[in-house]
Amino acid sequence: MSLQIADVGKDFGRHTALRDVSLDIAAGELVCLLGPSGCGKTTLLRIIAGLETASRGRITLDGEDLMQQAAHQRNFGMVFQSLALFPHLSVEDNITYGLRLRKVPAAVRRKRAAELLDMVRLPGVARRPVSMLSGGQRQRVAIARALAIEPRIFLLDEPLSALDAGLREAMQIELRELQQRLGITTIVVTHDQREAMTVADRIAVMNGGTIHQMGNPLDVYRRPADKFVASFIGQTNLIPANWQGEQLDVRGTRFDPGQATRNTQPETADGRQIWLSVRPEDLTVLDQGAPADPNAAVMEAEVRFIRDVGASIEAHLELPARDDLPPQALVALVSRDKMQHLHSGDSTRIQLSAESTVVLAS
Amino acid sequence: MNTTPAPATTLQGFSRSESVAMAWPMIMLAVFFVIPFGTMLTISFFERVPGGFFEPGFTLESYARFIDPFFFKSLGMTMMIAASASVICLALAVPFTWSLSRMRHHSRVFWLVALLSILSLSEVIIGFSWSLLLSRSTGIGNILVWLGIENRAPKLSPGLGAVLTGLCYLGFPYAVLVLFPQLSRLDPTLHEAARMLGASPRRAFMNVVLPNIAKALVAAFIMVFVFTLGAYLIPQLLGKPQQWTLPVLIADQALFQSNLPFAAAMSIFLLGVSLSLVVCVGWLGRTAPHDQDDAHDDARSEEA
Amino acid sequence: MTHPILKNRRRFLAQSAALAGAAALGSGISRAQSAESLTVATYGGYFEDSFKSIIYPAFTEETGIEIVSVPEPTSDAWLIQLETAARANSAPADVSMIAQTAMLKGQRTELWAPLDLEKLPNHTSLSPDFIHTYSDGRVDGIGAVAWYLTLVTNTDVYPDAPSSWEELWNPDNEDSLGLMALASNSFLLEITNATFFKDPEILMSEAGIEKVLAKLAELKPNVALWYRDEGQFQQALQSGEVPMGQYYHDVAGLAAADGHPVRSTFPSEGGIRDSGCWAVSRASSKQEAAHTFINYMCRPDVQATLARKVGTSPTVKRDLLDLSDEEFASVSSVDTPITPVYAMHNERADWLNQVWTEMVTG
Repeated sequence: MSLQIADVGKDFGRHTALRDVSLDIAAGELVCLLGPSGCGKTTLLRIIAGLETASRGRITLDGEDLMQQAAHQRNFGMVFQSLALFPHLSVEDNITYGLRLRKVPAAVRRKRAAELLDMVRLPGVARRPVSMLSGGQRQRVAIARALAIEPRIFLLDEPLSALDAGLREAMQIELRELQQRLGITTIVVTHDQREAMTVADRIAVMNGGTIHQMGNPLDVYRRPADKFVASFIGQTNLIPANWQGEQLDVRGTRFDPGQATRNTQPETADGRQIWLSVRPEDLTVLDQGAPADPNAAVMEAEVRFIRDVGASIEAHLELPARDDLPPQALVALVSRDKMQHLHSGDSTRIQLSAESTVVLAS
Repeated sequence: MNTTPAPATTLQGFSRSESVAMAWPMIMLAVFFVIPFGTMLTISFFERVPGGFFEPGFTLESYARFIDPFFFKSLGMTMMIAASASVICLALAVPFTWSLSRMRHHSRVFWLVALLSILSLSEVIIGFSWSLLLSRSTGIGNILVWLGIENRAPKLSPGLGAVLTGLCYLGFPYAVLVLFPQLSRLDPTLHEAARMLGASPRRAFMNVVLPNIAKALVAAFIMVFVFTLGAYLIPQLLGKPQQWTLPVLIADQALFQSNLPFAAAMSIFLLGVSLSLVVCVGWLGRTAPHDQDDAHDDARSEEA
Repeated sequence: MTHPILKNRRRFLAQSAALAGAAALGSGISRAQSAESLTVATYGGYFEDSFKSIIYPAFTEETGIEIVSVPEPTSDAWLIQLETAARANSAPADVSMIAQTAMLKGQRTELWAPLDLEKLPNHTSLSPDFIHTYSDGRVDGIGAVAWYLTLVTNTDVYPDAPSSWEELWNPDNEDSLGLMALASNSFLLEITNATFFKDPEILMSEAGIEKVLAKLAELKPNVALWYRDEGQFQQALQSGEVPMGQYYHDVAGLAAADGHPVRSTFPSEGGIRDSGCWAVSRASSKQEAAHTFINYMCRPDVQATLARKVGTSPTVKRDLLDLSDEEFASVSSVDTPITPVYAMHNERADWLNQVWTEMVTG
């Protein structure tokens, strides 16, 4: 089922938690609401669930107005950050609680619970009290309980945050597989960009009560809309620059970002400041004596530190202070070959090209 | 569910310094409870001098006076009133405390301070205030007349309703204070999870919140029950003679009849009855199936 | 016995009774060294304060005998202290004001020193029933103060004053009466006898008492309030909530003087008259001074002062008093009063309490 969120806002007293957010979610899609704590993502999820009322705006499900429906009338499944398993009930009674409310006969309920436990790969624990389960097992029970009512929408609020790293990664993949198998429209709230990139069809990056960018994971990574998205999703180098005619002036060095980029910019007047975002893997460190790309900006840099963590090697560089500009720290991923020639304290050159940089107006 | 450690597991094997630390409360208990209680117990066996005081001795005469249908009628009525007051009190205090536990910090502090200030009121003031509030001439019944619902304001005091009202008012802050810690520690998403699964807020409360505060409910019930059982001014000021509870009769014996042995014997008897009730209810509470704290802890350590 | 001016103080003193008693004991003994001092105990509070400021200074000025005033909590509690001290041959007070039932209790242990009427020439001013005697005729107490319990009504509800205690039984007065809750302070058995049986012997036997009690039980439907606390009844009487009942004549008069719609009526059968005696502990070494004091208190002018300033009913005959009719009527009546049968309350206390309570609560 598709969900339409139009201009939804929420105030808590004088504090505005959500500023007129709009978002369309297609049937069967998994959308992640990603952002730091306090960005409004959980508030938005709770409004969708009906646990919180919106101060403004409208939410419809396949055109059906949801604003008049209480949480218990919406038939949405939800997994809470705390999991919220009922401590006084067994695993089976937790899973079938929603079915009991729907007056499903006991035999059918028991069968359904067994199926759901198989589905979340947790057979044979139906009779146990939930307090006897491990963290991962509780996680699966919470998912099974939410899905037992065959929900129209599946909502998850930081569902994996209580698990340790290894288990979390495995559960992310499992969750994505399950969702794709069931084809259920799903919204996941998370602050973990890796998790979002693993499970989501689309990511909504939120901060300060607004959605900064909405798009598929790779788009959001490759083409961040602004500084916040660029730095929140993955690691990046942000270098200030400004327009001079058709070109960009980066610490005294001119370079042409290309017509395509210029067309996307809201303003290109002389002196207008922008930021260049360069992912560490895209930052080119030139070998000694190697020729520079004539279209690229080439700058002197000093090697401060080499970090070798086995899988990858990071070169920590610094552009020296210039006129009124302070020194600028940069991180580049380098190959093992190239590392042979780099040592702390060395001077080297870096190269910024139109292909490897994103121009951010804000 | 919260994980308060069971006292039984911590009461064993004190170190020497702990024993010394324990001595002080023990002394206080002896001075303020055991000695007065012992005095009362002793007096209850003393001989009553008719028209006078009492003389040291040993007689079961005061206890023999219990074998009397009138006494048992009073006892039954006293229990009935205290139990009804406790049930009504809890029925009011549970939803109130629930909303209190979900309020923002400063409104919560406001209500808690308001409740604590009720505790500073004496039983006399509470009794008098309610007898005015429930009277025909100055009472709240006049609102009905003013609204045109009744021709003449109803006289609500003295009567059973007035006694229960007064006792509930007296017991309410205690019930809230016993329930509050448990309810505010209870994970609020338990209630929300039940709602998401299709339970109305009311139903979710009954199915999920109540079973998880069972211990606090039992504790609050015992607290209010024992407290209202001992009240004597409220039943005296707000009750018809049929609602004069045993404590009223005890006070009559002690204050007006100078029959301390009989008053003491009645007090001991009432204490015994309420203690055994407390033990019974506590025992029922222990065997209730909601006590899974230990199992929970086991699961945690297994996982680690 | 539980007149409000005595009782208010008693309530306050309940906690500190022992303390005050002990303090009084100390001061009494130390002052007893001086020949020209006398320790007198009266009910603490308003009563004692009035005596200290109005009566004692004039007495000392006239006789040169200093009065050491000590408060007594209740007659019963004070009796225990006097008795205990007398066994050790000491007296916390030489002269005490003692209620009637306590006088009888004290007689059992010969606590009261016999008084010599020769040394009390003023005793002839008193009505003879204020001379309290041992069964063998020895005088042990002289009437100090008296007060009346009468039939009171709210003047708004009852425009015409009732004339007889029979009004308590009138079916028209259903749910309108405020009566005292105990046999020993309401004296309702005496009232019932005076109204219907007029038999001076009937309250001497259990069978007689039961007969009177049965008659009394007939007024139960009329009772709206069985009170132990005078304040509660007074408030209800003033507001008309409980428009009729028995109450203290002088206090009702004060309420009426304050503008409340309250009146006190001496019924044709008479009001209940209760009183307190001056009695001297047998352990007192100040018998002479004690007689001087009691003789002084029997003077008509002193009694008139007490009536005017303290509100008690004089024990001196009406014709000897210089009180105006209005002043006299505010505290007393010339009609024959109903006298409580103190012996019944004393000797059958427990039995009477039992049948009384069953009657009231049944």
